[in-house]
Amino acid sequence: MSNLEQASPSNAAAGASAGIRMSVGEKLFAVFNYTFFILMGIITILPFLNLIAKSFSSEEAVIAGRVGLLPIGFQWGTYQYVLQDNMFLNALKISVLLTVIGTALSLLLTTITAYPLSKPRLRGRKPLLLLFIFTMLFSGGLIPTYLLMQNLGLVNTLPVLFLPAMVNVFNMLIIKNYFEGLPDALEESAKLDGAGNFRILLMIILPLSTPVMATIGLFFAVAFWNDYFASMIYITNPALKPLQLYLKELFVSSTGDFLKDNIDAALNTTPQSIQASSILLATVPILLVYPFLQKYFVKGVLVGSVKG
Amino acid sequence: MEPAPNTMPRKRSKGGYLLRLLLDIRREWDLYLLLVPGILFLLLFKYTPMYGIIIAFKDFNIFAGFADSPWVGGKHFAKLFTSPDFAIVLRNTIIISLLKIVILFPLPIIIALMLNELRKMVFKRTVQTIIYLPHFLSWVIVAGLFIDLLSTDGGLVNKLLTSLGLQQISFFLDNSVFRSVLITSAGWKETGWSTIVYLAAFSMIDPSLYEAAKMDGASKLRQLWHVTLPGIAPIIVLMFILRLGNILEAGTEQILVMYNPVVYKVSDVIGTYVYRMGLGNQDYSFTTAVGMFEAVISFTLVIVGNSLSRKYLQRGIW
Repeated sequence: MSNLEQASPSNAAAGASAGIRMSVGEKLFAVFNYTFFILMGIITILPFLNLIAKSFSSEEAVIAGRVGLLPIGFQWGTYQYVLQDNMFLNALKISVLLTVIGTALSLLLTTITAYPLSKPRLRGRKPLLLLFIFTMLFSGGLIPTYLLMQNLGLVNTLPVLFLPAMVNVFNMLIIKNYFEGLPDALEESAKLDGAGNFRILLMIILPLSTPVMATIGLFFAVAFWNDYFASMIYITNPALKPLQLYLKELFVSSTGDFLKDNIDAALNTTPQSIQASSILLATVPILLVYPFLQKYFVKGVLVGSVKG
Repeated sequence: MEPAPNTMPRKRSKGGYLLRLLLDIRREWDLYLLLVPGILFLLLFKYTPMYGIIIAFKDFNIFAGFADSPWVGGKHFAKLFTSPDFAIVLRNTIIISLLKIVILFPLPIIIALMLNELRKMVFKRTVQTIIYLPHFLSWVIVAGLFIDLLSTDGGLVNKLLTSLGLQQISFFLDNSVFRSVLITSAGWKETGWSTIVYLAAFSMIDPSLYEAAKMDGASKLRQLWHVTLPGIAPIIVLMFILRLGNILEAGTEQILVMYNPVVYKVSDVIGTYVYRMGLGNQDYSFTTAVGMFEAVISFTLVIVGNSLSRKYLQRGIW
């Protein structure tokens, strides 16, 4: 992230004349600026605080609405409950499966598609690119897609959650851009040594592509992990419901209907504190991966959206 | 790539192209082979539904299938343009989308500019880390967070209101407030991320431009106007065109998980309507017509937007 610090008026000023005194206006602005961002940080974290407090609070305090930023009647029974709940664990398993398989296959497909398209010598390249890019601008819509899946017998299966998503043109373009940026000399010298295209891709290009693979891999992984829409429309089998869908049904059913049958009354937990624990537990995987996301996402965005 | 041996006068014939194509495929068959899965997937999952759009012109019947359902021409489109329900949906879509654009599009740019001025790197990096976390959360989680935050049953916001002596607000059941909830939660989720994107764009600006401006005595504000903004103009234009082209997509995934029948009147948008009426009520043909309406308009907007931008701003998406 260090190159993000270079280009800014204040840095140029500091560089051009070290030790410059800040005017009153600049000082005021700095104070305002720092305050603003402290507030912005707080606003970002705020929605979590209450939820965290509730998840650790006793049922009666939550129902009475007494819980603010700190837990009242500290307990962690709700977490134990959720982590032992078969439905939750199953949903978690499905999400993990979906994310791992989906990401691996998607990365594979987008990469092998991007590679030929990154070669200017490919005949038919322009029409092919048009074919791919057109799908980013126009689509058949929800109903025709759903009907297609029905006809293919994919409804209520796991593959339906990753197959259509595998051909992601945006990500493919990012990878293609990256490949185009690699020096031609590498490939040429390999060809002189008699290497075929597969070999070149596997042995030379891929090892050099770890940054973009990591970035796009993370793009896919986050998308699969967070998806609820695809599973909502295609999955009715409870055993196949991924985590986000499970969560959604948890609090949609709590705001309207009543306690789900599998809630252990003896634990005395309210839908609210179980909800809170479930939501927070679902956030944990993202938090764990976050440091990696940070590192690669910003780079990826740079390559992707700025270069178009 | 060696030119094919050519003893004939140069022809731009299709026959010649095809021949050269086949020769190329023969020579580098492994390259073309790599493309096959991608193309197949594309044709199957993206282009087949496009064909399926024809049911917008038919009275689709599950048993008759695509081909045998009776043709009704523009019947569904007529319904679309005269239906009062759809009028509400269209209105909501445009209003919510416009509100989001007007409020949430400039915000990250401004914030990125401010963020750029922070000198304490540790602080700057910490802020960045915090503010773009919500981008990685699913809408289900974000909805859960906001439903809790805004609840009338001990939610923080209402607690604050009552402690100030004000009345509680039922955010998710109040037609006059619900759209604000949608926009605020969308802002909470995405502003941090967009800010980072613009911040990254700033780093692409040549630092010597700033120094030259400073040499010429430009104040911070002038530097902003003459160096920074022109520097990020391409990416702003790009983002804006894409966002405008997408105006009929007002946040379906978000709204689906946050809305309820009480607030349909102000928050039902094209995406949610198609979902509910299409998959819910199985009104397949009509909602496909709605979907087609949206797709055609979005496509047109992006194309027009790009042409206009190329003509007047000398830059476009392609």
